[in-house]
Amino acid sequence: MSEESILSDDLLRQLISVGEVDILVGLPTQNNAKTIGETAQIIRSGLLKYFPRARTAILDADAGSRDGTPGLVTAAAISDTGESEMPQSLRTMHCITTTLAGTEKKGTALQTMVAAADLLRARVCAVISPETTRITPEWIDRLVRPIYQDDFDLVTPTYRRHAYDGILITNLLYPVTRALFGRRVREPNPADFAFSGKFGAYLMDRESWWQELGESGAEFCFTAAAIAGDYRLQQSFLGTKDRAENRSADLVLAMRRTLSALFWSLDEYYDAWSNHNSESQPVPTEGAEYETTLEPVRVNRKRFYEMFRSGVADLEPVLATILTTPTLEELKRCINTAEASVPFSDELWARTIYEFAGSYHHAVISRDHIIQALVPLYRGRVYTYLEQINVASPQKVEQDIEAVCRTFERCKPTLAAMWARRQGGS
Amino acid sequence: MVPATDAHWYKDAVIYQVHVRAFQDSNGDGIGDFRGLAQRLDYLQRLGITTLWLMPFFPSPLRDDGYDISDYYSVHPNYGTLEDFKSFLTTAHQCGIRVIIEMVLNHTSDQHPWFQESRKSADNPFRNWYVWSDTDTRYQGVRIIFVDTELSNWARDPVSKSYYWHRFFSHQPDLNFDNPEVRDEVWNVMKFWLEMGVDGFRLDAVPYLVEREGTSCENLPETHQVIRELRAKLDQQFPGRMLLAEANQWPTDLGPYFGNGDEFHMAFHFPLMPRMFMALKLEDRKPITEILKQTPQIPDPCQWCLFLRNHDELTLEMVTDMERDYMYDEYARDRAMRLNVGIRRRLAPLLDNDRRKMELMNGLLMSLPGTPIIYYGDEIGMGDNVRLGDRNGVRTPMQWSGGWNAGFSSADPESLYSAIVLNPLYGYQAVNVEAQKRSAHSLLSWMRRLIEVRKSTQVFGRGTIEFLYPNNHRVLAYVRQLGRETVLVANNLSGSAQAVELDLARYKGSILIEMFGKNLFPRIGELPYLLTLAPYQFFWFRLRRL
Repeated sequence: MSEESILSDDLLRQLISVGEVDILVGLPTQNNAKTIGETAQIIRSGLLKYFPRARTAILDADAGSRDGTPGLVTAAAISDTGESEMPQSLRTMHCITTTLAGTEKKGTALQTMVAAADLLRARVCAVISPETTRITPEWIDRLVRPIYQDDFDLVTPTYRRHAYDGILITNLLYPVTRALFGRRVREPNPADFAFSGKFGAYLMDRESWWQELGESGAEFCFTAAAIAGDYRLQQSFLGTKDRAENRSADLVLAMRRTLSALFWSLDEYYDAWSNHNSESQPVPTEGAEYETTLEPVRVNRKRFYEMFRSGVADLEPVLATILTTPTLEELKRCINTAEASVPFSDELWARTIYEFAGSYHHAVISRDHIIQALVPLYRGRVYTYLEQINVASPQKVEQDIEAVCRTFERCKPTLAAMWARRQGGS
Repeated sequence: MVPATDAHWYKDAVIYQVHVRAFQDSNGDGIGDFRGLAQRLDYLQRLGITTLWLMPFFPSPLRDDGYDISDYYSVHPNYGTLEDFKSFLTTAHQCGIRVIIEMVLNHTSDQHPWFQESRKSADNPFRNWYVWSDTDTRYQGVRIIFVDTELSNWARDPVSKSYYWHRFFSHQPDLNFDNPEVRDEVWNVMKFWLEMGVDGFRLDAVPYLVEREGTSCENLPETHQVIRELRAKLDQQFPGRMLLAEANQWPTDLGPYFGNGDEFHMAFHFPLMPRMFMALKLEDRKPITEILKQTPQIPDPCQWCLFLRNHDELTLEMVTDMERDYMYDEYARDRAMRLNVGIRRRLAPLLDNDRRKMELMNGLLMSLPGTPIIYYGDEIGMGDNVRLGDRNGVRTPMQWSGGWNAGFSSADPESLYSAIVLNPLYGYQAVNVEAQKRSAHSLLSWMRRLIEVRKSTQVFGRGTIEFLYPNNHRVLAYVRQLGRETVLVANNLSGSAQAVELDLARYKGSILIEMFGKNLFPRIGELPYLLTLAPYQFFWFRLRRL
């Protein structure tokens, strides 16, 4: 393997055998043996059912699994070499696997998929989360068809989610994306999505893009790049999303990945968001735009509150370098109020995020420290949000999310001002 | 002269299918005849084919292109006389060309004297020569073959005022093979032609000979018994002659037609043919390897007959619904191209007149296990005319030259049995034998060379096959082996250049010799053997340990 190459010689050999495809499905795996076998089989069923004539392949970009994950993916292949009973299909379906080099696996996995799709001249590349347990064959149709048939460039999912699930998205990523870039993408950091060959080729040309992304949330960057580049977006409803409790839940890691991608995108696409001043626009959506469920779930809200209060107290000197004085003072007032009435308002939350984004842009301190300092504040926001929706209906939950978004849109000048003020040499 | 000694001659044969009517008119009446065919034997000899398969030439009302026979003991006057046939047969044998004739046993024309007698009354001695019924409710559920024209397998006879059974057109009543008199007479017919010197029969529609209630009336044990009787008589009285089965069935149902080597010598491999076209369009070897995996082993003296196109529609009966839809969409978008359950088009138009595809498909035809059949005109890339009715669009006159009536006939064009193909792409002025004979690079010249190479070894006709399954599914690669002779075949099914690594470890140390140019390729070593193939290219390599 040459030093610059992102594709190993072995993968290249496999790609040569696969040849041109219409649809590539990528699986960024790492020790997913529990779920991946069934997921791969369902992907195969979806491809056979909805795209029986298309040339298809499944690519497992594996980050060094030790539980036999790659073998479970390749077992879904349809070829003429096996003796087992194969489903009725016109074509061979390759399932190929590559083990990723380096440490920044997720970004590398996505880059490998984009590169493979580009080399194979795939019209569509779908990326499916290997952790999902809810996938159905219809997912493949809903993600792929808008691109395959209607020439969209990026298809992001919408899900049926529990109100407590995906709070980082509903309270941060979605409102920020919507406010700054002007498109209402419900899942801007999608685990399951699809992109066109044209859009993939555009991304492949942006070497610096991949170098910067590393391990961070490259999925968000797909969304940001598509909006900024004026590519055609569509959302497709996929059904119920796995609960977060079923997935690896390291909040600090998740925020580091997500927010570094978000803040990086604000730098990268400054022209796009700074010039966007009109009202946000909906994205064409196939199926429901969202669905919220509210079955009872035990959540230790008090712990969120305590971590918020101790975090603000402990990190006050750091927060002072990131936030404006009024914002910090307001936060301090929050931790001094009674637990049941913490008013981490939408406006305070929006201002906080924009000020963090500005500080990240100007790198007032280590950017990693900036993101880590946001973690306890996020917990405070989650506490408030959970309090708000505790006895709410799904409609009320959605109204609350809409209110947050409106607030972020209204406060957008805060971010623009921070960008400009610091640039002005303050 | 035809060599008389080899009983398994049909395994090495290269068969050319022709309709007398379509090949050459010698008397200017607009219809091809035996004298004309005899005049063109030198062409066939130079082409290199070893066997001619003649479509029905018997007296007939010609409502199904001769497959509705009204007299089994004579020649249709359109095509000449019995003496003309004998003279043709002698000349063909002198040219080293064997002759197989068509024998339609399942049914006759409704104009055949046997049927005319049979319908007269229930007491007529010929009554039991056909399958009669007072109702049309027997054998319910049996499929109708000509779905575009027939609503039932029963037809009411106004003379007899009862129903007769017909698996094909209603003017083709099925003979009753439960009647020993019928079986005896059928053998008499065959004996008549065998004594004249024909080398074999292509038996039409064999799965349908016998009917039984509660069955599909296809492939019944009683049908196999009829065939075994005929075969036993053939072997006993005319050793070295051959029976070829037309049984459009799935591989598992085809196997029994070879019996224990005591039924047919050869049978058409119907399911393979559409899958060759499918594999080409899909650029994927899977359809071919899959169907050949499902193909049963056959007794050693037996052989598959392979073909790309013939006088019928490209039948899609032996494919799945999904595959059929795909074939229609890819090969017959114009609905006029569709007929019954198939596609009425010739080879060249099916392959977009792409020379590379035609070469590849003929290369497959000649190198897969079996005896190849070339349909007349396909060796020069003749086109079709789907606007002619039924399957007549693929039965137009042979295009010999750019002259009057394509050199086929001196008759007025209006008198020809069929219009000649005239369009700019496939018309006789663009596609004809004379022009292609003058070019060393024409399709005709290439076909001659292909046949020559095919005949240079018996490995293709008699050897084993082992598929190699390289990771690149666009490449179909296999090894043919017979005794010490080994041939490697690699086919690129795609329209783009392909690299492929072949696992030839078993042949380590062998040198590859490309069979057309006789050039040497590198010796097989430790590593997988890397080949690059141009779009639709194929290689035949002889492996030699030197």
